Amino acid sequence: TCALWQLLFRVLSPLPAGNALASIALEVQARLVKSALCSQGYPRLALAQLPEDGSQGSRELLLALSWLLARGPVPEQMLAQTRVPLGDEMTVCQCEALASLGPPAPHMEAEGPVDVRHVQWLMGKLRFRWRQLVSSQQEQCALLSKIHLYTRGCHCDQNLGHLSVTEAEMLRDPEGGQKVSGAGAAHNLDLAYPKGLHFSCTPGVGPRTFWNDLWLIPRLLPGDWAAPLDPGGASACSLLSPLRVLLRTLEHESRRLEAVLAWRRAEPVFWQWMDTVLGTCAPEAPAAASQPTFLPWVPECGDGELELVVRELQTLEEELREAVERRRVAWEAKARGCGRGPEWSAARRAFRETVEKELGALQRCWEQDSGPAPAHGPHRLVRREDGAAGDRDLQAAELIRTLRSQEACLEAVLRQLQGQCRQELARLAGALPGLIWIPPPGR
Amino acid sequence: MSIVTVQLGQCGNQIGFEVFDALLSDSHSSQGLCCKRENEAYQASCKERFFSEEENGVPIARAVLVDMEPKVISQTLSKAAQSGRWKYGQHACFCQKQGSGNNWAYGYSVHGPRHEESIMNLIRKEVEKCDSFSGFFIIMSMAGGTGSGIGAFVTQNLQDQYSNSLKMNQIIWPYGTGEVIVQNYNSILTLSHLYRSSDALLVHENDAVHKICAKLMNIKQISFSDINQVLAHQLGSVFQPTYSAESSFHYRRNPLGDLMEHLVPHPEFKMLSIRNVPHMSENSLAYSTFTWAGLLKHLRQMLISNAKMEEGIDWHVRPSLSGPSSLGKMSLNKDLHFNTSIANLVILRGKDVQSADVEGFKDPALYTSWLEPVNAFNVWKTQRAFSKYEKSAVLVSNSQFLVKPLDMIVGKAWNMFAS
Repeated sequence: TCALWQLLFRVLSPLPAGNALASIALEVQARLVKSALCSQGYPRLALAQLPEDGSQGSRELLLALSWLLARGPVPEQMLAQTRVPLGDEMTVCQCEALASLGPPAPHMEAEGPVDVRHVQWLMGKLRFRWRQLVSSQQEQCALLSKIHLYTRGCHCDQNLGHLSVTEAEMLRDPEGGQKVSGAGAAHNLDLAYPKGLHFSCTPGVGPRTFWNDLWLIPRLLPGDWAAPLDPGGASACSLLSPLRVLLRTLEHESRRLEAVLAWRRAEPVFWQWMDTVLGTCAPEAPAAASQPTFLPWVPECGDGELELVVRELQTLEEELREAVERRRVAWEAKARGCGRGPEWSAARRAFRETVEKELGALQRCWEQDSGPAPAHGPHRLVRREDGAAGDRDLQAAELIRTLRSQEACLEAVLRQLQGQCRQELARLAGALPGLIWIPPPGR
Repeated sequence: MSIVTVQLGQCGNQIGFEVFDALLSDSHSSQGLCCKRENEAYQASCKERFFSEEENGVPIARAVLVDMEPKVISQTLSKAAQSGRWKYGQHACFCQKQGSGNNWAYGYSVHGPRHEESIMNLIRKEVEKCDSFSGFFIIMSMAGGTGSGIGAFVTQNLQDQYSNSLKMNQIIWPYGTGEVIVQNYNSILTLSHLYRSSDALLVHENDAVHKICAKLMNIKQISFSDINQVLAHQLGSVFQPTYSAESSFHYRRNPLGDLMEHLVPHPEFKMLSIRNVPHMSENSLAYSTFTWAGLLKHLRQMLISNAKMEEGIDWHVRPSLSGPSSLGKMSLNKDLHFNTSIANLVILRGKDVQSADVEGFKDPALYTSWLEPVNAFNVWKTQRAFSKYEKSAVLVSNSQFLVKPLDMIVGKAWNMFAS
């Protein structure tokens, strides 16, 4: 049973695999599993009522697992999470960016009046960071382009034609011991070393500095460089050469792929078995409209603050429930009061038409020249001279065009909203006699 | 990351030359007080930032030179080439034959648009040479016609075309008793335009630098070259490589960005000043020793008493014991001798720099009420010494230092306009 809890936790957890997961207690994992299943709409109440120490309930857990497997391609999703990227990749769709926004931050009550100048200060810092991020990305693109250009004809796969950063780096320095000439301090390319943006080197122009530039790239690529590392071998990896580390991770990936294939072959047997399992369960009443919510709860911590947070969450939940009820009652009263009179339906029709028109305009503007929607997930960057693209390939020029038109749409909307804002401010300022209104310099 | 310098007008070009010269000679200095490997890293970082490499090994300054007269530019180019250690790019300059007659409008509305394409092309070429580009450093004076007018125009163009790059303008504040009649008009017009398009305005007052030459360096006949060298020394001690905060194994990649983030994120407070200690002639240097405690104490007092140099500091000015003034309200009668800061950055270079104690700068009484010292104050420490000074400290600060001079200029301009 414990193993099933842990398996469910691993499947439902949004975090990538790592040593951190192993250290979470079983009760906590169980709680999180219940909470995640509940939020995904899992219908069986019996699971919610299981004890969290792993003493019973293996049948319910098995049913939950099969429910998840039936809903979506779980093994494939997990494979995608731990994929080893050999090429230089970039995502085209906005899904990842939107997903990583997460739930909105809790509303923090400011302690006393907040000085707007402090807020302006923080806003300015954010702006600077943003600009630096854009500059870094431009730098990364320029270097990637150079590497792709200089390694033309080096790849055994004719479709690709040139090397990616990983591939080129493996060729340059498979043992991880070489220093790059020209750099002041000696930095070994050690995959286990935390990536940092601080180094000094003299990039120059021309192919002779190619190896220098190549060495810069792993420092600039965000995130993924740590992904290929096998969690169990993180400390051991630092002693292995980069090439061996890469080979090892590729071997792990192959084994996982083979395991998934084996699963797919044996799957029909699993479903037949699950049918029998479901048959042995007592039929359940359909889940009540309001399920108990599960607050993630870490028992060992015993920190007073956490208990406070838990209590606050519970009160918040109560308040929300009451507020929802009140709103619903009020709206019903209002809607009933409006009645079905011709005035009301005419107004409603007018609203609907305006909204539809606006949405339609936005959508049209959005979809102009866009062609088929680009696929989700990361794409490998390949530089081609001849312009011959395969069916499933996306052309950078087209994507750029699409993005530019989307940007233009959004900017138009932004300008319109800013204009409305300015008008409103001017109206407010005009309402106060004797007030001189100095608008900020338009940007 | 690299910085592209735009030198405008007589002032900008002459200062620009001294800055590049100071940077390169410091990076080649053998008195860095550090090991060879460290020195090499320092040199490499300085070179990457300000110079590009040519085939025969002579570094080329990442600079664009602009002037409406040919004389100063050709002097600058030849001085650089004569040094033998570095030079300007062959096609990096743009000049005309007419001059601007100290007329801001002529620079901004006539020369600017007329030569916009050529100048921006030069700049673009220089930016494309950079593998990683951080921003622009624009050197100009406020009082003349070319530097001020074209400077304002070019900065605005850079804002439009390179909106993600950083822009710092190095501005020369004219002598109070300057020669140009319309210098106050020129100054105000420049400042108001720059405030919208630049990210940071680093101000050097001619009067202050002149005094440094006279009192600290003991120079009898002060020429522009002396003044510019003092200026270059101050700028060099800010922009030479410093360690990044997180780990002291690497030199900071983006000093311009880090500096701006610390000091000028607020859009309405963009003016920065530089003060450095110690500063003296080479002869005196040989006989002097310094302690960090002494240097920092002087620097702190220079800050709060708004002194521009070590000599003649008013030690009576002290922070008020009752703490910073309440939210936003400062009575008009309050003694404006105390220089309140919004933010400060102290850069320390030299021997035993880790032992330097900067607690004195973290006093909340030095800062405004809406920013805590933990956010307002930063310190960068680097072991490698700068330019023959065993220990040197420089303070870049966003404070009230320009309130009086600005009031004076505005007052004079208004009087002139209204008369």
